[in-house]
Amino acid sequence: MTPQNDAKVFIVDDDQGVRDALSWLLRTRRLLSECHSGAQEFWAEINAWTHPPDVPCCVLLDVRMPGMSGLELFERLLAQPWAAVMPVIFLSGHADVPTAVDAVKRGAFDFCEKPFSDNALVDRVEQALAQSAGVLAKWREAQAVDQKMQSLTERERDVMRLVAAGLPNKLVADQLDISVRTVEVHRARVFDKMGVKSAVELANLLRDA
Amino acid sequence: MTLADSLRSRRWQLWAALLLLVGALLGVLVFLAAEYEESREQTLLERDAELLVNELRNELLRNVQTLQSLQSNAPSPDSWSVPAAEVLDRHREMIRIEWRDNRLRPLAHRNTPYWMDPYVLLDRERAIADIRQACDNASRVSGPAYSSNYFWPMGDGLGAEMMEMCLPLVRAGQPNGYLVVAYSLPGLLSERLGKDLLRGRGLSVVEPDGTRLALHSTIPANPRNLFAQSLLDLPGHTLLIRLDSPRAPAQLFPNVLTAVVSLLSLALLAVLALLARDMRRRQRAEQDLADALAFRKAMENSLVTGLRARDMRGRITYVNPAFCQMVGFAADELLGTGLPAPWWPPELIDEYQQRQAVRLAGQLLPREGFESVFQRKDGTRFPVLIIEAPLIDAQGTQTGFMSAILDLTEQRRIEDINRSAQERLQATARLATMGEMASLLSHELNQPLAAIASYTTGTLNLLQDPAGQGWADDVRLAVKRIAEQAERAGRVIKSVSDFVRRRQSVHEVVAPAALFDAIAPLLLLQAKKQGVRVSVQVKPGTPDVRCDRTMVEQVLLNLARNGMQAMPEGEPPQTSGLRVLRLSAEVKHANAERAWVQFAVTDYGHGLDPDVQAQLFTPFVSTKPEGMGLGLSLCRTVVEQHGGHLHYAAAVPRGTVFQFTLPAA
Repeated sequence: MTPQNDAKVFIVDDDQGVRDALSWLLRTRRLLSECHSGAQEFWAEINAWTHPPDVPCCVLLDVRMPGMSGLELFERLLAQPWAAVMPVIFLSGHADVPTAVDAVKRGAFDFCEKPFSDNALVDRVEQALAQSAGVLAKWREAQAVDQKMQSLTERERDVMRLVAAGLPNKLVADQLDISVRTVEVHRARVFDKMGVKSAVELANLLRDA
Repeated sequence: MTLADSLRSRRWQLWAALLLLVGALLGVLVFLAAEYEESREQTLLERDAELLVNELRNELLRNVQTLQSLQSNAPSPDSWSVPAAEVLDRHREMIRIEWRDNRLRPLAHRNTPYWMDPYVLLDRERAIADIRQACDNASRVSGPAYSSNYFWPMGDGLGAEMMEMCLPLVRAGQPNGYLVVAYSLPGLLSERLGKDLLRGRGLSVVEPDGTRLALHSTIPANPRNLFAQSLLDLPGHTLLIRLDSPRAPAQLFPNVLTAVVSLLSLALLAVLALLARDMRRRQRAEQDLADALAFRKAMENSLVTGLRARDMRGRITYVNPAFCQMVGFAADELLGTGLPAPWWPPELIDEYQQRQAVRLAGQLLPREGFESVFQRKDGTRFPVLIIEAPLIDAQGTQTGFMSAILDLTEQRRIEDINRSAQERLQATARLATMGEMASLLSHELNQPLAAIASYTTGTLNLLQDPAGQGWADDVRLAVKRIAEQAERAGRVIKSVSDFVRRRQSVHEVVAPAALFDAIAPLLLLQAKKQGVRVSVQVKPGTPDVRCDRTMVEQVLLNLARNGMQAMPEGEPPQTSGLRVLRLSAEVKHANAERAWVQFAVTDYGHGLDPDVQAQLFTPFVSTKPEGMGLGLSLCRTVVEQHGGHLHYAAAVPRGTVFQFTLPAA
């Protein structure tokens, strides 16, 4: 019963019993979790992040909590650029169901009504983590493309833009007012730096990023 | 000029005319009274004149006898003179006495000592014609006779009216001369008559044409004087005697009669004035009365309260427009009608007749009024409030009843609206509170339950894991946690029941009847609305019970309401008399240590369906759309808290009876 290290579930609930129980349940499904006793505290921790966590993650968020409510925390998370990496599953009592439904409409991953009696919650958590993983992968790809772009020179970047647009070397040379030879050199270097082998590949990479 | 002004001026004219008339009457009365007085005086005067004349005549007769005595003892002319002088001394009216012979030659004479010789200016013989006339008459009648009167002048322009009297003398049957006396008329009047008769009067001898010949008077001559004339007829001559009396001075009240009449007239005037004032006052009072009447009329017409007066036999003597409008009859149709009144609903006539009988028996009428039902002319019914007071006339005897009648239709409607609104509001509030409570409770319970669910799911996960080894510790931990969370849930439940128990129930000793009385007002309100009669019966000898009064009342109210709802409108029908809800209490299971009082609520509905029976005491299960399904289960809880028990059975012949027991005190 060793938790996997490639995902993380944040549990935000004011009730310790619930936190512990959830954490324990997730562990039986080999999921790593991190408990927070309130929205305020959790927000203080993640507020400083500029990057999403480096593993797929999701948040189990209680609707009704003293201090900052689950909804308010959700609003703040939505405002983050990496919000999609961290899907939110609301935990609601019977009375809070309408609120939770409303939250789902605005982008929450799902809500679970307390008391939850089977593995449905964990299944939803895993689905959320999978979604998170996908988003995270794309995020990383984009990050990688960005990094490669950073290594290009000014001229190489101009050439890349035109090549990716599908222009032949001659036209690129004309547009940039340089020789075709020079274009070919730049182009080879761009391909090398960006780790692609053809103009088509380059175009795809730039489009995805 | 307004009407009032013209009336006032006319009134003054009438008053002036009245004063004028009274004045004229007074004047006429005074005039007539004066006239009467005058005529009376005239009569008096005439009588006095007669008296005077008689006296004069008598005097003259006596004089004749005196004179005859002069000749009785056959005197000589010389001897005659002395007694003649004596006679003259006594009789001042005689101027001269002469003794003459048969041929009228003077034998002797004697003059009055009171006069200067009247025959100085003229000789005595110048009067011989008158003397002869008198003596001729005298000898003819053989008695004294008088001559006509004549004026005899005496020196200094004076003179006197004279009259001769001749007495024939007889001696031995033969005429023997004459005795002649010259009378002065003024002297006759003044000397021979009593002064008393003449006080304030004038006596004179006049010619038939009114010329005064001789006068003896103490009053001035005045043409307005009253006078009476009388004839003094003497042998041979007749004198006209006149008695003058001055008219009484003009007096305002010439006599008592006039005074009395005037006084009476004045009194009459005063009475008239008083009468007029009284009339004016009466008019004003009448005006005030008319105003008050109009005021009262307007007041009655403006009332929305119906007013009705009846005499002691129940006949209507008065209705106001509001009452007519209320019952839909015209005032003419109502006035004079007796019992049963046209507005009595036919089926209630007996009850109302009884009420009337009670009223006539002199029982006190409830001051706050009583409620009743009237029927309009068109047959519709409406509730009214009647407030009655006895009608007492000015003599203090009761002549009937005055009733004020309020139409309660609108009030009832508003009451109903208010009540249902309030009930809805209460239900909403109750639901809201319940909802809040439930939400809180569910949250508090959800937490441990969620935790427990998580642990169990996790444990199952572990047990299912084929590769799972060495999880025994985890499972142990989980089960321990489950136990903790279950305990926590138990604490929540306990805190709730603690909260409920915190409302300290106060047990007090209370009579069953008092419990029924306490819920009666609320119950009757609903009963009236649903047309259900409520019968309360506490068996004699039922002991008091020890209970939480508020809670037990709630139980009774709850059961009673359920019972009434078991008899929906028209089932059983209103007229069947079976729409009765019976509340009763009696002692039950009494033994030496403990007695129980059994309360029963019996309806006449259709009984309970088996489905309903199965879930009768299950909380949150209700047959009513608005019910919460807590009523009966709460009732049972309350009863059981008191140590009693609540059960139900089918009633005979139909319906359901709910019974519960409470410990006797």
